[in-house]
Amino acid sequence: MDSPRPHERPTAFDRMLTPVHRWIWSDTNRRVQKLLRFGETETDGGRDILRAAEVTSDPLLRRLYLEHAIDEFRHGILFRHRAAELLRVSRSHSNIGFQGDWLAPGGHGLDDLQVDGESDQTMLAFLHLSEKAAASRFCIYRDVMQHDPPTRAIFEEILHDETFHMNYTLTQLARVEPQQHKRHLWRARLSRLWKAYLRLATSLAAILGSILLTIQYFVLLPPFAWMAKRAAHRESAGWTAVSPTSSDSLNRQY
Amino acid sequence: MNILGISAHYHDSAAALVVDGVPICAVQEERLSRHKGDAAFPLLAIEWCLQNARIEPDDLDAVVFYERPMLKFDRVLTCALRAFPQSWRAFPKAMKNLLGEKVWMRGIISSQLGVPGRKVLFTEHHQAHAAAAFLTAPTRRAAIMTADAVGEWATLSVGDGERGSNGTTKIRRFREIRFPHSLGMLYSTFTAYLGFKVNEDEYKVMGLAAYGKPTMVEQVRKLICRTPDGAFALDLSYFEFHTTAKRSYSPRFAELFGPPRNPYEPIDLDTAEGQRFADCAASVQRVLEDTLVELARTLHQETGLADLCFGGGVALNGVANARLLAESGFERIFVPPAPGDAGCAMGAALYCDRIHFGNPDRDLPDHPFWGPSVDGSELARIAQEDGHHVETLRDSALIEQTADDLAANRIVGWMEGALEFGPRALGHRSILTAPRTTEMRDRLNREIKYREPFRPFAPVVPTDVAGRYFDIPRGGTRLARFMSGVFPVRPEWKSQLQAITHVDGTARVQVLDPAMAPRLHALLEAYGQRTGIPVLLNTSFNLAGEPIVNRAVEGYSTFLRSKIDVLVAGGTRVTKRSSAVGSTEAERIREEVA
Repeated sequence: MDSPRPHERPTAFDRMLTPVHRWIWSDTNRRVQKLLRFGETETDGGRDILRAAEVTSDPLLRRLYLEHAIDEFRHGILFRHRAAELLRVSRSHSNIGFQGDWLAPGGHGLDDLQVDGESDQTMLAFLHLSEKAAASRFCIYRDVMQHDPPTRAIFEEILHDETFHMNYTLTQLARVEPQQHKRHLWRARLSRLWKAYLRLATSLAAILGSILLTIQYFVLLPPFAWMAKRAAHRESAGWTAVSPTSSDSLNRQY
Repeated sequence: MNILGISAHYHDSAAALVVDGVPICAVQEERLSRHKGDAAFPLLAIEWCLQNARIEPDDLDAVVFYERPMLKFDRVLTCALRAFPQSWRAFPKAMKNLLGEKVWMRGIISSQLGVPGRKVLFTEHHQAHAAAAFLTAPTRRAAIMTADAVGEWATLSVGDGERGSNGTTKIRRFREIRFPHSLGMLYSTFTAYLGFKVNEDEYKVMGLAAYGKPTMVEQVRKLICRTPDGAFALDLSYFEFHTTAKRSYSPRFAELFGPPRNPYEPIDLDTAEGQRFADCAASVQRVLEDTLVELARTLHQETGLADLCFGGGVALNGVANARLLAESGFERIFVPPAPGDAGCAMGAALYCDRIHFGNPDRDLPDHPFWGPSVDGSELARIAQEDGHHVETLRDSALIEQTADDLAANRIVGWMEGALEFGPRALGHRSILTAPRTTEMRDRLNREIKYREPFRPFAPVVPTDVAGRYFDIPRGGTRLARFMSGVFPVRPEWKSQLQAITHVDGTARVQVLDPAMAPRLHALLEAYGQRTGIPVLLNTSFNLAGEPIVNRAVEGYSTFLRSKIDVLVAGGTRVTKRSSAVGSTEAERIREEVA
């Protein structure tokens, strides 16, 4: 194997998680799900970058963003096609349990970035960091995929593109903001950290909410469920007459 | 009186503004946010509507939401209770979904727009569908039928509407069929079973149906039976949509129809499996049509009216609409350009104006062009910056040039005037091309739309000559005005209209009145002078998975990413130059940094 180029070295954190990634990718069903998810992420990211191309006033950035978006759409197709091939071979279906998504968020995506409201500088800094993170992660995926050469080849190909994306976003950031491009990168890093925290916090809140609601479901609902089922038995199928006064007032929410 | 209508939070959110009884503007959120089927609260659409009409939120007399949130909550909660304990997984999700945002619409609208809560009103979902269908239709009295997946409780309703001579308006709903018994859900379940996206790809089922034979009608009829009062009921043992959000159909359904299609595998109609899926689609399509025809026939007999206004997502099924026209007894059928949930924004606002405030009836413009206008100069600027070939032409010269392009088998991205409201591109944001050969259809599918080969393309033809090429029955012209009906291509023209003739010999034709889109009409005539057939293939100006383009820059990026040959926006015409400045510069950078 060729020695990795400097930009293709995974981060220490990603290297630390290599055994987990190896385990996640070892199973065909999990691999299919991951690839399908990456396909969606890349396509979504492509749409956002396409939007960036449409809103920027810088002609060169417009062209580069457009090429970038086309690359992302192509990656989406590559992932989907590979997943379809694996599906065909394995005949696997959707429910595959643990996927380790929180460990391996996959391609960069654009989180909740509101592309329309962002400046070129912010967009470029954000893209650069996203691509860098994705390149690091894809590097690990490629390395743990020795048992699946076609999937490995896809990661290899995408990694090459990600390297271009990572580099052009940095050079363009230096072009459009020669004095303060490092400041923008730091702001983007902080923004990513903040968003990561928000994601984690909302995920935890969602889990807690689900637990509480599930408890309520089994503790509080049974008598009401019994009554609802009894009521349902009394209902006849077919037409229900609409009372002429039922919609008299538009003030009611009920 | 200024009334803002809003639809949101299910799919395809939208805003519409009615000023003094007349719609001023309406737009779907997806066209502005660029997220297909965007269901978010339509803040961009609202902002655009208010800015376009130069109205401040304080100037609004009412903001009308298109359904009653608490009634919807009632339905979701009741269904969860009835499905206890199978609904334990769906319950937390549904509650978080509803209690997190959707039931607090009065507060959300009030805080987002800064209007007092008393100005925020609510129609029922099917009331909004009925209003959108009847109040936008040029008829004095009509029966009204609405059908979709589900609103609050109603899934289908029938009634009538009347415009009195004194300016008063009445909309009555006689009766409704309630969830979970739903034609829309039946069709959506097959959409999911056939591996397509629910609430988005139902039209693919309709397209696929033409390739199949309705050999499984008896099986489908096991799923839906007629009730003694003339309505219908679903056999819920075949479905799971009412108990879980995970899957629409039950194992019993899959036993009856066979294994579901893998969404990631293309449908190969040359295989037995592919043909089974096509037969499935044909069978559910047949049952849907039969059911609608019987319901409409009863409604016709009951009301004795000549006109039917048909709204709701099911009204997007052009094949069923054509059968309704042919067999229900109604002489004319009016389907609005946005019969789905987006159109409810307009329906809710009009209902509030005519019924709630009792304002006198007004004649409304009979067109779908309520969105933002395209700016040709924006296209000229960006295309020049990138070094593409740009011309700014007078109208007549542009029409002649474009007709030449089309006659030379070029594919044209055509943007003019205000954006369409609704899912169809009706000539203001269209990809146009010659309809003659199957090669053109295949090229469009392969190089531009990137979509399944079984999906048909639609034609557009001037009203006065439509009957020469298409077998449009009496009353069909109205249905075809907004591309809402599927009619046979006349046999003698099929060989010359191959790209728009579906496998069953039909086409979802748009007949174009010159007053509705004069430039496109002129283009059709100019093209007809060159080729002898004033018919063009008209497909929506977007790529797969993207909403229809709105601004010139969106048309431009679509043009660059696909093999569209010519882009026209307003008076600007652009063709690609391979050595364009931006292109070479970007290539240089790619080489440098890669």
